[in-house]
Amino acid sequence: MSSLSQKTVFVMDHTLAASSGVQLDMESFCKPRLSGSGMSLPHASHYIPLLPVDKTIWTCAVEAITEYCRIVWDIFPGTRFISLMSIGGGAVERLSSWHQDQSLNAIMQLLMVLGPARPGTADLLSGCLAALQNLTEVTPAQKLQTQPVGNKGRVVVVTKLHSDDEARLYYQKFCDLVANVNRSVDGDKVPIAHVQLVLLSFIGEKEPSRVNNGSLSGGGSGVSGEVVEMQCGSCVAAKLCSLVVRHYNLASTTVTGIPMKEEQNASSSANYDVELFHPAEAHAATAGDNSIRTTRQDTDYPTVTLKWSTPRTNASQELHQCSTAFRITSVDVNSRPSSCLTNFLLNGRWVMLEMPKKTPTQHTKVMSHMLAAHGGDIYIHTLLTARTVLEDPPSISEGQGGKVTDYRIPDFAQLIRANMLVPYGKNGPERSREQLDRHTKHFPITLSQTTLFSIGPPIESLLKFIVQSELTDDEVLECKQVIFSLLNAEVQGDSLNTSHIRTKGLKKEDQYKAMWKELERFLLDHNSSANHQKVYECFLHCHSKEPVSAYDSSSGASNQESVNIDQALEELDAAVAASLPRHGGGSKRHHANETSSDGSKKRRVTQPSITSSTSPSVTSGMSLLTIMMQKIKSSEGKCLPFAGQLKAENNVTKLYANFQKEKDKEDMSSRRK
Amino acid sequence: MPTVILLDVSFSMCRPVPNIGGQDEAENSSPLLRKDLAALACCQLLDHLTLTNKLEFVSLVIYSSLYEVVVGFTRDYNSIRKAVMQVGDYDKTCLHGALQGTVLYCKEEWGNNMPCQILVITDGAAGVGQSGYLRSLTGPRAAQNFPLPLTVPATLDIVCLASPDDPALLASLPLYQRYVELNGDGSVHVPQGKLSKKSTRDLMSEVLSSQFSPYHGVLRCGNLSTNITLAPPPQPYQPYREVGVTNVRETMSKELLVLGFLSIVDVSSPPASSRHLLLPLQHKGEGNSTSSPDGAGSGDEEVSADEGKIPSLCVVLHGGLKKEGKVALCQVAPNWYGILYSWSDNKKKSNLLLSIFHPGTDVIPWLGKLDELGPASCLPENPYTDPDALPPFPVKSGEKRSYNQACVVWVRAGGLQSDVQKILRHARKLPDKTNSFYKELNRVRRAALQYGFPSLLHGLSAILEREVLSVPAQAEAAIQLQHACAALMACAHSAMDPNVTDNKHHSNIVPLKTNYASHD
Repeated sequence: MSSLSQKTVFVMDHTLAASSGVQLDMESFCKPRLSGSGMSLPHASHYIPLLPVDKTIWTCAVEAITEYCRIVWDIFPGTRFISLMSIGGGAVERLSSWHQDQSLNAIMQLLMVLGPARPGTADLLSGCLAALQNLTEVTPAQKLQTQPVGNKGRVVVVTKLHSDDEARLYYQKFCDLVANVNRSVDGDKVPIAHVQLVLLSFIGEKEPSRVNNGSLSGGGSGVSGEVVEMQCGSCVAAKLCSLVVRHYNLASTTVTGIPMKEEQNASSSANYDVELFHPAEAHAATAGDNSIRTTRQDTDYPTVTLKWSTPRTNASQELHQCSTAFRITSVDVNSRPSSCLTNFLLNGRWVMLEMPKKTPTQHTKVMSHMLAAHGGDIYIHTLLTARTVLEDPPSISEGQGGKVTDYRIPDFAQLIRANMLVPYGKNGPERSREQLDRHTKHFPITLSQTTLFSIGPPIESLLKFIVQSELTDDEVLECKQVIFSLLNAEVQGDSLNTSHIRTKGLKKEDQYKAMWKELERFLLDHNSSANHQKVYECFLHCHSKEPVSAYDSSSGASNQESVNIDQALEELDAAVAASLPRHGGGSKRHHANETSSDGSKKRRVTQPSITSSTSPSVTSGMSLLTIMMQKIKSSEGKCLPFAGQLKAENNVTKLYANFQKEKDKEDMSSRRK
Repeated sequence: MPTVILLDVSFSMCRPVPNIGGQDEAENSSPLLRKDLAALACCQLLDHLTLTNKLEFVSLVIYSSLYEVVVGFTRDYNSIRKAVMQVGDYDKTCLHGALQGTVLYCKEEWGNNMPCQILVITDGAAGVGQSGYLRSLTGPRAAQNFPLPLTVPATLDIVCLASPDDPALLASLPLYQRYVELNGDGSVHVPQGKLSKKSTRDLMSEVLSSQFSPYHGVLRCGNLSTNITLAPPPQPYQPYREVGVTNVRETMSKELLVLGFLSIVDVSSPPASSRHLLLPLQHKGEGNSTSSPDGAGSGDEEVSADEGKIPSLCVVLHGGLKKEGKVALCQVAPNWYGILYSWSDNKKKSNLLLSIFHPGTDVIPWLGKLDELGPASCLPENPYTDPDALPPFPVKSGEKRSYNQACVVWVRAGGLQSDVQKILRHARKLPDKTNSFYKELNRVRRAALQYGFPSLLHGLSAILEREVLSVPAQAEAAIQLQHACAALMACAHSAMDPNVTDNKHHSNIVPLKTNYASHD
């Protein structure tokens, strides 16, 4: 961004106290009331007529300059800088700097403190010198630039010129000043690569023109200049717009056909036009198409007329293909149509704009732009209108992996939800990458690649907790309980509730084997903290991988163990029957006993170490579990916890939860046959 | 990037290729012509695209002194092969006009912003008038005379089917080189050694590998990764193009890194510099160029049947994003980002699309700095799960814009009038509208002081004095109006006096307290 418009200094002649000839007729404000209220008109003649109010040239100039600043800061906040200086009778006053007061409200406050114009003689050249020195200071944006680019800028002198000779004289002296200032640059300051002097001459409404508008030549490669004369009054606004459009390479869009309710008659609506400014690149796609461009009489820039298209309510829910988005501002910001449009947009609605496209054969309409507010700023988005090279794309199902049907999409959706981004701060990307790495350490993308992740609800909490970077003690406990419940299910001979292809046909024990193997890998992959280690150790205990507990005997003692388990389960049954009177399930319990004793012959059943799970922190919290564990501990010293207890919600457990599911499955399979 | 084959069909293309060894003479009754070599070169390009990027659009334009679009942009490469074999012989060469026409044609088809790839296949004789063109392209108005648009990064490659020592080629080379130089991207290609089938094939292989090589990269999402390709292949990013200025170009890295996920609603249709389909790369090695196009077509279906059964990260990513209505934020190079999302051209077929932003971290203002986005789950309050937390997006800009606040603009006709009228409207509804009246009065008072316009305060005071006369003397309305008049006058006097520096007149005029009974 090394354009002239990156920084602008306004040097304002504070001695323009002469009348501009623009008058505000105060009497006109009183008339409508008299006629409207039905009072007799002759009555008005009793009053002494009110004097009209005169604007000074200074007032007209300030009105124009603040409008210029308003447009610039609406469209380029934080990237284009403007500073103000005033030259009064002798002294140059710096009003704002590159680092402060870069907003309309701030400079309005400064101008209020400055006060109205005071007669005197202003020393324009000392103002220019101060402005050039100001230009050698860097803006916040320049400070951020890594490679040095040309320090360019613009000095706008707001004054009243009397002749072309005077303008040329100022320009020559200005060129000399530039050379002087560049010679004496030191410290943090940077020399000026190019500066444009804009002599903005304000003359009274009825005064004849004194200078010719146009560029000033000479002065070498680093300086250019132009003279713009503005006659106070109604044409200032249009001239000012032309100036700001030229200085900042803006373009104008007129939104036409905006339906608006009439203020007087709410049932009818009329169509209005609103003119907007935005950077010219927003119209790059239509460059060369002059059929949609028109130039009004009072301006020297063209405006592109686009038609309002009544918005759909869900336009903001979709991704539109945009090539650019630029901030806009309305040209006549306080007019009723403008504020209607901007308020509509600020309330979150999006508006599509239609470009009439004239082809030799037919008139088609294309949505070419979109207006939308984001975070309080309104933007114009350029939509793609031409043919796209992406037309008729292949479907993802036709490509590699398109025929696979058992992707873990719900789990991936969960992964997406867990890795949403927010404004975070400097180390945000590292944190999110680290987290995403952790969440995908062990993430088979299809169900047929995994046993562990196909079990579903019984293991969900463990899978959720283990991928965290830290585990709380409660989470450790819950993870251990999941392991125990799986172990218990295995002991009881419940088949794993897995639907995937790879283990579907397998025997129960092979399913468990595959699951345990995958769980071990999963726990090992995520073994990153002391608490993770606790869960992993618990797993190892359960599988006698490490002789840690005295009760973990060698695998040869399986027979004896199974007896122990049988005993334990009987104890458990008794405890459950006592604590849950609703459950008169003593007879059903035996089924579990039988299967477990059958199963125990085939597979190695290990002794989970109760001691590891009864950490002191739990004793107060979980009453029933604790009571039962204590009971079991006191009588046996070692036993499996009751799986139902672990799953219990409010101490009520549905027994044989898988019974119905299995039945359903059987039904399903029989139906298939 | 759409490709235009600009094929020279001037009469000089009918010249036979000078025979070196003479061994082919016995087999071929008719001698090998330059246009036969040109046809071979075209077919070699099309075969290459069939294997590497079947989604590329190609068009065939022939030129002599005139030009003609023979086959419009299509993915049906066979229609171009057929057309190449059937082109006729025309008169003299004029590349300049052909380039102008090609640019017009591309603009019409793809709009102003789509870069195109132009491959000129010629016998290296620029023909009559070339020195004139060269002069026009070296003078001060070179940029205006240059037929290609400088705003979009098109590549221009000129393949000369002539022996390097061909006098006609030597005469034309400066013009060709000037074209390429002005365009900034592309080059002039001349065969190594004598012109023959073999040297043509070698030449084309070099062109294809330099300008038509597909993108091969890796998509990485945490520990998951897969090989992918992008269609169309991404181009280096060039912000602005000026004649004679070589800009620093940003090139995409070979690794697309998923950083995390954002909602579609939050990204709000961000502007993108380019869009690409993200396709899983087939695991087989790159097909060798010897396989015939027909064979490749049938072999392809076989491959897709096998490939379809190999699980792909792309499919699960696509499914997850589609299900959740989310996009994945990707880093495509240091300081350069894009989003990956499910996109469908019509209702049925959807695929993964990568929209690449303009390079930089501050390119989407409503997302904040892209290199400062981090995991929501690490915040004390996760805005996606905590119903009480504030939504994270859009990131608000600091200052309110003029259309989002009550700013005063008097430069336009009617601005001042309507503001004064508003005060009067409220004045006539006193004491009901006391607060609104003072609010508007203060707004105008402040603006008058800011614009250095204290005489307006005098005038306003005079109007309000007139209003006093039309209400009963002791009414509350009259009291408030008189109070306002006095305050305005005091304010005006203080503002006009250069010796007053206490700025007391900057503070608001407050309503006169008339109801002493109330406690507020």
